[in-house]
Amino acid sequence: MTPRRPREEDFTSPLRDNRVTSRVGLWLGIAFLVAFLTGVFSHYGQDTPGWFTYPTGPVSIYRVTQGLHVLAGTAAIPLLLVKLWSVYPKLFSRLPWPPSREAAIQAVERLSIGVLVASAVFQLVTGLQNTTHWYPWGFSFRSTHYAVAWVAIGSILVHVAVKLPIIRQALPQPLDEPAEPVATREPSMSGSGSGAHSMAAPSTSAPGVLSRRGLLRATYAAAGLAVLAAAGQSVSWLREVSIFGVRSGEGPQGVPVNRSAEEAGVVDSAMDPAWQLTLAYGSTTMKLSLADLEAMPQRTRSLPISCVEGWSAGATWTGVPVADLVARLGAPAESDVFVTSLESSGAFSTSTLPPQFSSHPDTLLALQLHGEALDIQHGYPARIIAPARPGVLQTKWVTGLEVLS
Amino acid sequence: MTRGVLLGRAGFGALGVGALSYGAWLVWGLGSTQWLAVGKWLAGGVIAHDLLFAPVVVLVGVIAARRLPSYARAPVAIAVVVWGSITLFAIPFLGRFGANATNPTLLDRPYRLSWLIGLVVVAAAVVVASLLRRRRER
Repeated sequence: MTPRRPREEDFTSPLRDNRVTSRVGLWLGIAFLVAFLTGVFSHYGQDTPGWFTYPTGPVSIYRVTQGLHVLAGTAAIPLLLVKLWSVYPKLFSRLPWPPSREAAIQAVERLSIGVLVASAVFQLVTGLQNTTHWYPWGFSFRSTHYAVAWVAIGSILVHVAVKLPIIRQALPQPLDEPAEPVATREPSMSGSGSGAHSMAAPSTSAPGVLSRRGLLRATYAAAGLAVLAAAGQSVSWLREVSIFGVRSGEGPQGVPVNRSAEEAGVVDSAMDPAWQLTLAYGSTTMKLSLADLEAMPQRTRSLPISCVEGWSAGATWTGVPVADLVARLGAPAESDVFVTSLESSGAFSTSTLPPQFSSHPDTLLALQLHGEALDIQHGYPARIIAPARPGVLQTKWVTGLEVLS
Repeated sequence: MTRGVLLGRAGFGALGVGALSYGAWLVWGLGSTQWLAVGKWLAGGVIAHDLLFAPVVVLVGVIAARRLPSYARAPVAIAVVVWGSITLFAIPFLGRFGANATNPTLLDRPYRLSWLIGLVVVAAAVVVASLLRRRRER
């Protein structure tokens, strides 16, 4: 027997059926939609367009949306694998020859499927790697993951539009009936081979063979287990069962760390007793030592720290409200406040508090965590903690606050 | 095709083309320094799945269908779906590629041990289910 390229008809499993594909596809579509919407929210939280005002509450909003984002992506991994398996033979179907209108339509559809698979796999792979801090690539993660998210959701919508007649037929169809003859599922070129087709679509009731229902249950079980295995970093009471959680939830002062003082290169500058906070507004500047800040009225608030990577932890912070520092400068309350860190470069080195946060009484320049001085890993001597914001914007090792006009 | 399906197609199609175009514009905006790196990973995912992963799964399926006794096939298939996809998801954890000596709060669980225990549990479940099915078949 000489080896040859496989043909679509070579794949004979009755589990590869539109009913399986459409059901898995429905859940996969929901998972991608949830990840897309929460992802856009997160992106706008970090890169806010002019028309969008990021909310200051409820304080848990970001830990919920970002936890959902990561878990929806996690559930999508088994779903996508089974979905692709169920339609894999179509990769080997031949385009009609000679070129015709039908051939052109099929070629365009093939191309759109290529874009769909490429962008969907890309989002799940890069998202998973980002949650585990694994960056073996040469592109910027956030802007790329955001751009490709639009490509992925767009190709999913186009795919649903193209397949809508099949979906409408296959979704309500009972799983246990014998498979439809292949000829009615595919645009057939010739009348021949229908005998072979009916042989290629046997009933799944043969003993020992997995049923379509069984495959679907196994797929949903895999998605559920993956979610359970990852959820502990977002849902604290699941920590013990989450065997593949990125974080156990432990850390200095009981709170995990995303970026260490060593990575940020601030170990010496943060521990320097001569540290001072520089406040600036226009031509006015002011320097405050740690003792000066400690002498100001302190406020204690329980606010979660929630990361784009999906983990979050509740914590109690004590410090000076940023609004008090703005007032001390004589600057207007509703201002953008530009925060600089001792960390000199990179995404974590600066952030901007928009007016709704700089004027919010719970936005603190925190000096304490759980009633003790901040651990250096949590931003000693001072860090920003604002309600509901993405963790990357909760700047640590703060050295300057500048009120922008 | 009914009116509803046609309308649905038009709606999904228009939304999809709109989102896709915006995405393409954003990818364009990433700039020429990023295109090659992004393109490699976009194409790499398709190639890794279609030419590497999927053929291996198909091959495993063919071998299992030929070699496994009928009563063991369904349990093995379920185990492959469940533990296979969990394992693929777990690669960044099992390899701890993102681990960082200065941040012990990251990747701080016994992932390999958990994976091994999971494998043993799944294998035991396959054996038990297969034996039960064999008894029923007789």
